[in-house]
Amino acid sequence: MTTPWRKAVRDFWHERARTVLVVLAIALGISAFAAVMSSYAILTRELDRGYLATNPASAILRVDSIDDELIAAILKNREVEAAEPRRVVTGQMKSGPMRWRNLMLFVVKDYGDIRVSKLVHEHGAWPPATGEILIERDAFQVADAKIGDTVLVKTANGVERPLVISGSVHDVGQAQARMENIVYGYINLATLAQLGEKPYLDRLNLLVAENKFDEDHIRRVADDVKSLIEARSHNVWRIDVPAPGKHPHSELMGILLLAMSSFGLFVLVLSGILVVNLLTAMMASQVRQIGVMKAVGGTRWQIARIYFSQALFIGIAAVIVSLPLGLLGSRELCRYMAVFLNFDINSFAVPLWVYLLVAVVGIAAPVVAAAYPVWKGSGAPVRVAISDFGLTQTTFGSSGFDRLLARVGGAFRPLVFALRNSFRRRTRLVLTLVTLAAGGLFFLAALNVRASMINTLDRMFATRRFDLSVVLRENYDEDRVQRAISDTPGVRRAEAWLATDASLGRDEFTLIGLRADTQLLAPQITAGRNLLPSDSDAIVINTALAQRFSQMRVGQTVTLRIGSVESNWRVVGVARETFSPAIGYVSLPTLQQQTGPVVNSLRLALNQADEDSIETVKAEVERRLEQNGVRARGGSSKAETRFSYDQHMLMIYVFLIVMSAIVGGVGGLGLMTTMSLNVLERRREMGLLRAIGATPRMVWVLIVAEGVVIGLLSWIVAAVLAWPLSKLVGDMFVGMLFQAGLDFTFEWRGLVLWLLVSVGLSAMASFLPAWRASHATVREALAYE
Amino acid sequence: MISLHQVNKQYETPAGAFAALRNVDVQVRAGEFVGVVGKSGSGKSTLLNLIAGIDRPSSGMITVANTPIHTLPENKLAAWRGRHVGFVFQFFQLLPTLTAIENVMLPMDFCKTFPARERRRRALALLDRVGVGPHADKLPSTLSGGEQQRVAIARALANNPPLVVADEPTGNLDSITARGILDLFRELANQGTTVVIATHESDIVRVSDRKLQISDGVITTDSRA
Repeated sequence: MTTPWRKAVRDFWHERARTVLVVLAIALGISAFAAVMSSYAILTRELDRGYLATNPASAILRVDSIDDELIAAILKNREVEAAEPRRVVTGQMKSGPMRWRNLMLFVVKDYGDIRVSKLVHEHGAWPPATGEILIERDAFQVADAKIGDTVLVKTANGVERPLVISGSVHDVGQAQARMENIVYGYINLATLAQLGEKPYLDRLNLLVAENKFDEDHIRRVADDVKSLIEARSHNVWRIDVPAPGKHPHSELMGILLLAMSSFGLFVLVLSGILVVNLLTAMMASQVRQIGVMKAVGGTRWQIARIYFSQALFIGIAAVIVSLPLGLLGSRELCRYMAVFLNFDINSFAVPLWVYLLVAVVGIAAPVVAAAYPVWKGSGAPVRVAISDFGLTQTTFGSSGFDRLLARVGGAFRPLVFALRNSFRRRTRLVLTLVTLAAGGLFFLAALNVRASMINTLDRMFATRRFDLSVVLRENYDEDRVQRAISDTPGVRRAEAWLATDASLGRDEFTLIGLRADTQLLAPQITAGRNLLPSDSDAIVINTALAQRFSQMRVGQTVTLRIGSVESNWRVVGVARETFSPAIGYVSLPTLQQQTGPVVNSLRLALNQADEDSIETVKAEVERRLEQNGVRARGGSSKAETRFSYDQHMLMIYVFLIVMSAIVGGVGGLGLMTTMSLNVLERRREMGLLRAIGATPRMVWVLIVAEGVVIGLLSWIVAAVLAWPLSKLVGDMFVGMLFQAGLDFTFEWRGLVLWLLVSVGLSAMASFLPAWRASHATVREALAYE
Repeated sequence: MISLHQVNKQYETPAGAFAALRNVDVQVRAGEFVGVVGKSGSGKSTLLNLIAGIDRPSSGMITVANTPIHTLPENKLAAWRGRHVGFVFQFFQLLPTLTAIENVMLPMDFCKTFPARERRRRALALLDRVGVGPHADKLPSTLSGGEQQRVAIARALANNPPLVVADEPTGNLDSITARGILDLFRELANQGTTVVIATHESDIVRVSDRKLQISDGVITTDSRA
């Protein structure tokens, strides 16, 4: 090792406390980066691997009924690899005295030979015997039951049957049950018959033989199969083609990971700023040493190399610290995402490219950050360098701003001193403020986005003036339904609506028929107008529908296919429904001209909207309907629907808060570095203060006050920028995740909270340097060079 | 060895231009021991800096060891300095995180003047020569002022330069130690090294061959012993 190297190592060791701070800050940034990158590698691999292993259906056809003969005919088509019939029945489930839960029952004909959309058996029985039900592993919590329990199950026909939960399965392609607040159950055909349903299958899961990821090809094959089925005098109601080869949530996950990785880079940049601060200070304090080295023959590059190698040490140390941390973090992140998306991770193996990328980025970041201060510092002319008076030389007083500050007086002189001191190293101050303010901004943005999302949901739910909605099993005569529920105790107002599928071209959406004078829906109209009682062919579309079809604009007339009939509708308005699927609203009487005088769902406003009252009313409504021969398929209260929405949002809040905590942490470490540099450079000044009568306590207060001044300044910066930035982040996030805008609201409490945090953080960050400085003896401090 | 021809040096200060040296003409022979004497601010440090290639003249020509150093670019100048000039400072200026012997090896590492294996031995020999061999592995902060200055002189000699320049090398030492240091410089000159020392101590005439008296940037007296 040559002496320049030795110097690099020893200097590094000499300033070990501060070096450790900077290494920690950089390590925090690299850890975040490493965690996100390895999660990305693991999750994309495992999610698609797990999903593809189940042979997900290329297309799903809704048919009136499917028998073995039909399947055999379909399988003759060479382009079809597998075709399996299933049935999906909605119903309700109750365990013990608990209230009824929404249930989605999957009926499988032969559990021993599932080839498409495979289920993975987890625990207990397989296949389920007659009278038994398997539950999706994530749905046990919703069901509030365990294997071996007997639960009551009913479908829309109202027959209640006890079924035994005999085992659990993992249905990879289903959305998380907990988030949807629904129980997924798996039974056989005989059990379906026990539940009073006709034991037929109506859902055809199709797997194409080739070009499994080619959507056009899949649609072509599905159309062929449809023609074949129709040629055999069956009806095909609908064809669904899910995005081929993609887990239904993989796009969502990709967006989240993208957001996280850009955040990881951001933290890395912030920690790079610390390196700039540290090395600028170090170069300043070493001016004379640089001069001496030049005087004895060192060239600029030879000297710069010494300091670059120190930046290199920082990078290597940070990478060593952060790799295990990052991998640990990625495991947690993967586990969290795996639970959220309900899939299994078989291997946490991180590919080599992630290690290399993290190492390269981690080592390069501090070196790049060091480039400017090192090159500038090593360029000082020898004469200037060796005649430098040392550390206390600053040019405070040379600018107009300084003189302005000098005019800021006050009764408490030490505080004035602290205020002016924080402005002495202006570049350093700015860089410190950037990191601290970034932490504040993220924190405020996290709170604001959360508040805005709640506000958006509040507004959306405010348009729904009903407390309970009940879905009927099929279309029933409107008069009969109205008669059945009239005068139900606890119901303030009841309306019967008709929901039906409509299609524009190939794409389907939901059409809801309601009376124009409805009092249970008050849509927020953003363009055009709401439905009027005099309207006949008018349609009001919601935001999702307007976004899906560009030809649906106010004033345009569109041709919709409802059932087998085509009809023209005039778009009169757009209703804002942020997180809702695509829906069009039309006048019920007009819709009934095509369907007959029928309805299939109820909206009820109740006198009391607490959980118990809703349950009571729901049971009473179902009883009365049944008395009149009307069967309900299920019902959900507004609160339940809201709960499900809130679950979806929770993840975003958690993510934002974690981000702001990390950025805040980097900011805190940055401030600590800054304060220790500020104090170090003014050791002599501190000695002087002590010499003219300041107590150690006074010195201590002074330095902490200086830190607090910086904290306050960062708070001001964050507070000013919080509004626009929060709005931007919120719109971006919600736009990416839900294709919807946000009703922005500013969380004022966040400002107060961050004020406390930033002042507390800066006081804490300056505590240690202050304590050390105040305990140096006067002689030590004055002798310091 | 050293030739200054019509050398001027001006500094730009907020109060206007300040002439540190005016029309200086000096010739120094190889092996000569020159003492530059003058009051603080008279221009003696500027003169030394120019000779050592640490600063550049505003006008005029400087040739040292046959090299016109006023024409060299900054990086070439650094390398030239390392090989041809040993500089000794008033405040010793040892690098605090390097031991005595490492401070001496540093110029050799920078200029790659001796094979890497020989550097340590040579550094130790130099430390022995200036009388601080036993302190080779100590950090500067544990040495006395006189010992530090001896290490600094050893460092100045590291690359075996034909010229040693010292700016007030005894200014920070007690008189007995200062005397020892000056004797050391005398010894160097006796062995053929050209030595130029700036000082305001009259004691210099005891050891030097020649005295240059400088005042307000002009050489007023040039006397030989």
